[in-house]
Amino acid sequence: MIAGRGRSKIRPPRRGIHGGEEIDFEQTWRVIASAFNEIHTKNASKLSYEELYRHAYRIVLKKKGEDLYKRVRDFEHDWLTTQVRLRIQDLLSPNLLMSSQAIGGTTANERRFAGEKFMKGLKEAYMDHHVCMGMLADVLMYMDRVYCQDTHRLSIYNSAMILFRDDILHAFSQDGDSVSVLDLLNRVILEQIRMERDGDVIDKHMIKDCVYMLEGLYEGQTDTAESRLYVASFEGSFLETSRGFYRAESELLLRESDAGAYCRHTRRRIVEEQDRCRSTLAESTTPKIEKVVEDELIKNRIQELIEMESGVRFMIDNDRMEELSLIYELNARVDPKKTELMRAMQKRVVEMGTEVNNAAIAASQAPPPSEGTDKGKGPALEKSLNQQTVAAIKWVEDVLQLKDKFDLIWKNAFSSDNALQTALTRSFADFINASSFPRSSEYISLFIDENMKKGIKGKTENEIDMVLEKAIVLLRYVQDKDLFERYYKKHLCRRLLMNKSISNDVEKQMISRMKIELGNNFTMKLEAMFKDMTISEELTSGYKGHVAQLGDADPKRIELAINVLTSMTWPLESMGGSGDEEGKTLKCIFPPAIDRIKRGFEKYYGEKHSGRQLTWLAAMGSADVRAVFPKVPGKDGMLKERRHELNVSTYGMVILLLFNEIPADVSLTFEEIQAQTNIPASDLVRNLQSLAVAPKTRILVKEPMSKDVKPTDRFSFNASFNGKFHRIKVGVVSNGNKVESDRERKETEKKNDDSRSFCVEAAIVRIMKQRKELSHQQLVAETLNQLAPQFKPEVTMIKKRVESLIEREYLERIENAKVDSYRYLA
Amino acid sequence: MAWEIKHEIEAALHAESQAISAGRLKEDNPLDLSDDFRVFCEACRRGDLKICQELIMEGVNINARDRFDYTPLILASLCGHFEVVQLLLESGALCERDTFQGERCLYNALNDRIRNLLLSYDYAKSTDPLQPLAAHITSLLTRNHPKTTDITLVTPTESFPLHKFVLSARSPYFAKKLATAPDTTSWKLSSSIPTESLHVALRYLYFSEVSADLGDGEEEQSILTGIDKISRQLEIERMFESILESGDRRLTRQRRTDEVNRGRDQLNEWFKNNVMKHKIVVDTEKAQDVHWDRNNAIFADVLLRADEEPEEEIQVEAQPHDPLIRNTSGPLNGIPIGPLAKSRSPSRHRRPKKSTLYPVHRAMLLRSEYFLTMFSSSFREAQETPHLHIVKLDCAPEVLEVVLTFLYTERADFGLDVAIDVLFIADLLFIEKLKQRAAMIISTLGNGSTSAVESENPRGATDAEDVLDVYEVVRAGWDTRVHRLEEFGARYIAYRLERYIDEEDFAELVRESANRIKARQETDTVELIDDIRYYLSDRFRLRFEDSGLEEMMEEETIRDDPAELLEPLPEDEGVDMSSNSPRKQTTDQDMYAPDIESQLRAGAVRTLDGELAGDEFAQDAINYQILLGKIDTLLERLELDA
Repeated sequence: MIAGRGRSKIRPPRRGIHGGEEIDFEQTWRVIASAFNEIHTKNASKLSYEELYRHAYRIVLKKKGEDLYKRVRDFEHDWLTTQVRLRIQDLLSPNLLMSSQAIGGTTANERRFAGEKFMKGLKEAYMDHHVCMGMLADVLMYMDRVYCQDTHRLSIYNSAMILFRDDILHAFSQDGDSVSVLDLLNRVILEQIRMERDGDVIDKHMIKDCVYMLEGLYEGQTDTAESRLYVASFEGSFLETSRGFYRAESELLLRESDAGAYCRHTRRRIVEEQDRCRSTLAESTTPKIEKVVEDELIKNRIQELIEMESGVRFMIDNDRMEELSLIYELNARVDPKKTELMRAMQKRVVEMGTEVNNAAIAASQAPPPSEGTDKGKGPALEKSLNQQTVAAIKWVEDVLQLKDKFDLIWKNAFSSDNALQTALTRSFADFINASSFPRSSEYISLFIDENMKKGIKGKTENEIDMVLEKAIVLLRYVQDKDLFERYYKKHLCRRLLMNKSISNDVEKQMISRMKIELGNNFTMKLEAMFKDMTISEELTSGYKGHVAQLGDADPKRIELAINVLTSMTWPLESMGGSGDEEGKTLKCIFPPAIDRIKRGFEKYYGEKHSGRQLTWLAAMGSADVRAVFPKVPGKDGMLKERRHELNVSTYGMVILLLFNEIPADVSLTFEEIQAQTNIPASDLVRNLQSLAVAPKTRILVKEPMSKDVKPTDRFSFNASFNGKFHRIKVGVVSNGNKVESDRERKETEKKNDDSRSFCVEAAIVRIMKQRKELSHQQLVAETLNQLAPQFKPEVTMIKKRVESLIEREYLERIENAKVDSYRYLA
Repeated sequence: MAWEIKHEIEAALHAESQAISAGRLKEDNPLDLSDDFRVFCEACRRGDLKICQELIMEGVNINARDRFDYTPLILASLCGHFEVVQLLLESGALCERDTFQGERCLYNALNDRIRNLLLSYDYAKSTDPLQPLAAHITSLLTRNHPKTTDITLVTPTESFPLHKFVLSARSPYFAKKLATAPDTTSWKLSSSIPTESLHVALRYLYFSEVSADLGDGEEEQSILTGIDKISRQLEIERMFESILESGDRRLTRQRRTDEVNRGRDQLNEWFKNNVMKHKIVVDTEKAQDVHWDRNNAIFADVLLRADEEPEEEIQVEAQPHDPLIRNTSGPLNGIPIGPLAKSRSPSRHRRPKKSTLYPVHRAMLLRSEYFLTMFSSSFREAQETPHLHIVKLDCAPEVLEVVLTFLYTERADFGLDVAIDVLFIADLLFIEKLKQRAAMIISTLGNGSTSAVESENPRGATDAEDVLDVYEVVRAGWDTRVHRLEEFGARYIAYRLERYIDEEDFAELVRESANRIKARQETDTVELIDDIRYYLSDRFRLRFEDSGLEEMMEEETIRDDPAELLEPLPEDEGVDMSSNSPRKQTTDQDMYAPDIESQLRAGAVRTLDGELAGDEFAQDAINYQILLGKIDTLLERLELDA
């Protein structure tokens, strides 16, 4: 099929495109130039893209790209300098120009209209240029792709944009003037923004369009985001102007308005600036201007603001939630840690907490105002103790109230901020554990005691829950948990043995709450106490059954209710009241009838649990005694025998029984009583006081009649005793749970320290057993860490314990170690 | 461990062969015993670009294997023909890692250059040559500007602006509907079909991959039912099948390839039967007066006009219904020539200039950035008018047809005769792929039937010296920034340097090349000369290294012509010399045969300057040096320092 055609070359390219003949550059350019003219005068729709493209394509293909590029640039330069620049200069009214040098002679309105007109003209010129250059770039696409890329030139569009920048924006606004159009534009925009800040309404769209122009143009030859004219020329001065504006404003505001108003204003300003960036300027400015406002209105002022008279303290005291929330919001903007606010708040917490502490101390220490009016010293002491208890409870209530207050603020105003919560906790812990106020553990325990005994009577389960929760909340703050444990044990012990507790369930609930909060270790002994109580009940009923089985239905039978207490678990020494050393060794001599029962029970118990030794704590028991008083004339003159049921302590019972043995008119001296009963002197004194001094329970008559009990005093049966009720309770002085006296407290603390040293030693040994060798620093750190949930031991105590352990050869020092180190000796 | 892996591989291979024999899976490399394929393999062995390209254009299966289990790609890379490997890869030969044949190919690659080339064409890149077309058509679904849609599908909840020609090409249902009522502008979908189903169907029609991931439960059921319905209504039942089918990666890929191929064929069919069939030929001076309605049966929205070349009086009416694409069977051997013989008319009298107008669719033209800009601009071509715009393209109708065929079908099989024109118009229209394609066709078919082997053609003579004007090709390469053409030109010249070295045109070309460098100020060498020297050494070294006589040659040349031969061999930077060395001894022997004959005929072995040489090795060595000397002389004369 091809044969016969001879040898045929590949066809040379068509002449039309790139044949041998030269194209007439000038003529082609004239065609293109006239088309460009049309484009600039908005007559493009008649032009043929194909034709223009073809012309440009041919020129480039003929290696005339350079010429074309230059011509296009020249053309644009011409157009801009002759046509556009004039139009812009026409817009420059004297008003506009003058405003730069001196404001005056023109009203704001006039300046504003002039500015708007100027911006409008500039914007239109730019938009026209933008559109036309887009079309030119379309036509010159081949040149852009081929010539410009080969020679690494800017695309014609970018190049034309640079021309616009140089020929229009950088041109001087007027001949001989040194202010360029761009400067003028910046100034006009800034002025408009200033007007808006002052509350005027401005044409945001217009400014936005001008900003759009500035964003589309670049300062240098490169197209980086930083070199956009907007950033390079406008943004800086905008931020600077704003800074000045806000600095002045913040000063004025601090002087003239209160903190709340200041906060509200600041927030409004921030929102305004955000809106402005969105609607008028560029989004990219938002963080920058926000920072300016934050710096000027918040960061540099926050301290002043918080410490203002109407500052945080005022707001807290008056529960200004909204304002607090504002201040929180503002502070959070400039400081994620909210240092200033936190400090102010902590300061206030500690202040208020210390007030509460001081009030409690004052209430407990100040001599009760009623002293003068009250009669008798004994009751007065009791009163004062009571008053202290009341103070303790008031303290707890106050602290809780404080806590509620701040919790509310934290939740409502500080959007439950974690850092602030930690700070709050720390501040509460600070004042609760303040060294000037060592009573918190005791007070909390007392608070619980009070509630267990009386407070929860008739309350619903929810209310009880709330009370318990409150106690736990406070407990959380307490650092020396062991001290609290000691007090709680003591108080609990009394409640249990004296049946003061209203509800066993609630007691147990409390224990389980503490278990959750403080761990198993903490509540172990408390639970053991409950267990002892249960076992004792069983024992009592078991013994009763045992006695019944013996069959000797003794009408004079004495009923025995016994509590068997594990000696290590119960704080018995605190029960004894005196805690005298000899008090323990001395055994009370019981009357024979009682002694028989005692021995019977010992036998019974010994059968059940062999090898256990029972120690009888007469000081802690109580007895119901039926007493018959001889007939005395009643009010109506009738002789009446009076029967009373006396509830007395065991000692009291022993004492009373002494008088059973002797005739009614025989008296016994204090020493005689002591010798016959072997009751510790202090207990005896107190018991005799309640039996012979207390006016309502004066079953014995003391000779001479005085408040104090002296060894030489004589006692006799008060046959004329007259009680109003059938059942009479003879209280023993200092029988309830009350605030300790200073002496007691010191004692408690000493005991606490003793038990602490055991804990510390145990912890040290535990750690060393595990680690074998450890430096001193680490050991101290770990010990502190391990004991943290119980208490915070002093470092000196740890040191002492370490020394003691070394002496006892649990540990040894490592010789020649770089730092002090110990080794565990197995 | 190793045993287990072997076991696994065997199991996988077994599963594969079962799948293949069951017809579910197509074999990647089917056995091909046809003559064409044998010739193809042979050409790959020898490195004959022209034959390779011709056979590829004829449609030989490029990924088949011969009875020794060799694929063309393995052969070409084994024999070290870089250009052939490149051609094969560009034409769709697969070299996929993690397949047996792929690894074999990589392993067999003669040198690192070829190996790297193979690696760079890993499946991910060459995946589907039709992908750009498919992606473009899919993108039409979401493209709003410029507006190209002409029909709206309305459902109760949504409306989809669509293209009639796509619908008509892809769905027999729409083809019929629109044939009877071509001016339909909206079509309502039965409300019983969920919109999601229509979504899937449209994505399918627009060449997008559709999957069965349609949500869950009842929703899926109703969508599937909808798809079933709609696929039956639109007569595109295959869609439903392809959604339901799911299989392994390879099957999915294969199905996808098949689908796109089918779609392309439909589009091609439609293109031929509509666009090409309805092109009109008019006198050029009347061309602008043609008025086409917007509402036409082939839904065209613009007319493209190509003018015939005025000075060549080729009749156009002779080929109105015959597209230029060469789909004739039989190899394209021999010299590629201008327009097909069929289009030749015996009458040569002067007649009025003719123009051809093609009714086409903007939607497809948008694949060219030129048209995209044109139709997005606010110039005349983008204005809405009652009659179709006529956009003139500065090329011959047959060239325009190549362009259109490419835009509509991704096919680009055309002859050398229009290749340069296609190159230029593709450059003008920014159709990069077509440009590369034209360059490839020139650089393969342009080789003529000259053997690349020096021994067959010791004097650089060629039987195809007139196939192309190599100067034009090099210049076109420069103009259109296709480096490959410059390389091709250098190679072409190097292999026939005797013929060109003394021509004034050649000197001019060298000067131009030097000037290009000056303009760019990158290096001081003349690129063209560097390339020629490189290929020249290629041409001669083939023989020296074959015979292992390099040392001997050195001695001999010095003895023969000491004055000229003092220069050392030019160093070729960065080229692995070994790439040309190992050749099968047997082939060499075959190639020697004609050479010896010619010598016998000539009676003696002569060098280029007519001297008698001892044998052909000596002759080569001397010739090489003579040619190098001539280049230096030329450079001196042009006052170029290279």
